[in-house]
Amino acid sequence: MTRACRVAEFFDGSAGGTRTLIELEGVRVSLAGHTVLEDISFSLEERMFLGVVGPNGAGKTTLLRVVLGLVRPDRGTVRVMGMTPGELKHELHHIGYMPQQVVFDPIFPVSVFDVVMMGRTCCIGTLRFPTKVDREAVSEGIRMVGLEGLERRPIGELSGGEQKRAFLARALCRETHILLLDEPTAGLDLPAQQQFMELLVELKEQLGLSVIFVSHDVNVLARFADEMVCINRTMHLHGKPQEVLGSEKLKEAYRCEFDFLVGVGGQGRGAGEDG
Amino acid sequence: MLAYGFGQRALVGGLIIAVTCSFISFFVIVRRLAFVGMGISHAAFGGVSIGIVAGVDPILTAGGFCVLVAGGIGWLSRKGRLHEDAVIGILFASAMAFGVLLVSLAHAYNLDLMSYLFGSILALSWTDVISAAALSALVITFLVLFFKELLFFVFDEETATASGVPVRFVYYGLLVAMAVTIVVSIKLVGIILVSALLVIPGATGLQLTRNYRGVIVISLVAAVTSVVAGLFLSSGFDIPSGATIVLVLFAEFMLSVALSPRRPYMARLLGKG
Repeated sequence: MTRACRVAEFFDGSAGGTRTLIELEGVRVSLAGHTVLEDISFSLEERMFLGVVGPNGAGKTTLLRVVLGLVRPDRGTVRVMGMTPGELKHELHHIGYMPQQVVFDPIFPVSVFDVVMMGRTCCIGTLRFPTKVDREAVSEGIRMVGLEGLERRPIGELSGGEQKRAFLARALCRETHILLLDEPTAGLDLPAQQQFMELLVELKEQLGLSVIFVSHDVNVLARFADEMVCINRTMHLHGKPQEVLGSEKLKEAYRCEFDFLVGVGGQGRGAGEDG
Repeated sequence: MLAYGFGQRALVGGLIIAVTCSFISFFVIVRRLAFVGMGISHAAFGGVSIGIVAGVDPILTAGGFCVLVAGGIGWLSRKGRLHEDAVIGILFASAMAFGVLLVSLAHAYNLDLMSYLFGSILALSWTDVISAAALSALVITFLVLFFKELLFFVFDEETATASGVPVRFVYYGLLVAMAVTIVVSIKLVGIILVSALLVIPGATGLQLTRNYRGVIVISLVAAVTSVVAGLFLSSGFDIPSGATIVLVLFAEFMLSVALSPRRPYMARLLGKG
């Protein structure tokens, strides 16, 4: 079977049924002799928006790295679109990733178009050069996030919110089925956060994406996620946003009070309502 | 000077080196590898010393030594045990100390050693020119074939890794390409001044444009013109060629600083202010 067939077969094979895109079972990860994740089990169904919350240092970023196959668990199983992490390394163009922070020199000489084109690197392939198809995919990605007209602008000249949208376009301009976002709204002011989240939800629906959104901000995720997972080294909670927000275990994971969240939980969007 | 064979060889060799340096200079600047370049080039002194003392072509031994040092810098810093600058500080001083000790013990402080320290482009043979062309072709081929992976890696290593870019390969490849470029350039400007060729062309380009293609083109123009002007000036005024090339390059850089569109008066002049 060719590599390209793996993802196609995964989607064809489970046609009609509910597809589980990511499945983690009893995962334990140790880094430099310290256990950073313990007994983590959850799944991401197709078109689901899963919010992963937890305090700083809870292992949220490591969790995304496990899904990407960049960190190997010492115990447990990981399946992404039916593939093991070893098989997945040839299929990473089906996963869009946005890191917590892209630290780059503001005078780095690349335009928005160049940055989004980086997202096509794994689609183009080694020893090959971008073609018209790639340039069109990049233009489409830029259009989707509303940055048309800024294609030639140096990335360092964009506002924080525009840069985040450019990085989202970079994650989308490949053959993306799964979007992994690591605190993508960190550093944005509230209106920019709101704008980014609304764009994300709109694109998720439009493109049929499955999303894992990592954040320490429970408020943001409670409004937009279908399901939430709360981790702090180990799993504390997994459920609908309302269930998670109302749970004592959330306070336990964060080791602080969350009285102010009760009202927000009541406004939760509703994946919960979809049912 | 072009009437003489040595002048023709110097010009051809110089142009080959200028093209290679200008291309790699882009990555040196955007990845902030200037200190790595200085480290590798100074460490080359250890390799040159081995060659002089052992009676082997010092460029060959310097080549092996530089590639080893470049690999060592990469390996130690990626292991995360030490920062890149600390690793360079250790390896560059140790390799130079080793070289000083070796030539001192062998009483080999001579004109030959000085030519490696300060360059001797007028002493290039056609064999030197051909090997410089072959090594430069290898470096440029690597940079062209892996350009998109290199650009992704230097801009955002984390996402490049998550996208399946072979970051370890491109990082070590870049360091080895730098080491090879340095070795090829030693004959032109010498160990002491070679880092200027790795840094100034790219820095000049970055003053004038915010587009990587433009930076590379300006870097190429700056390096080529400095080599040509430096060689003719050094021949005309009978002054050292390596130092003249570096000073021409420096003058070009200062000019680019003055003409940078980011300077308020230039912005006003260009109608952007």
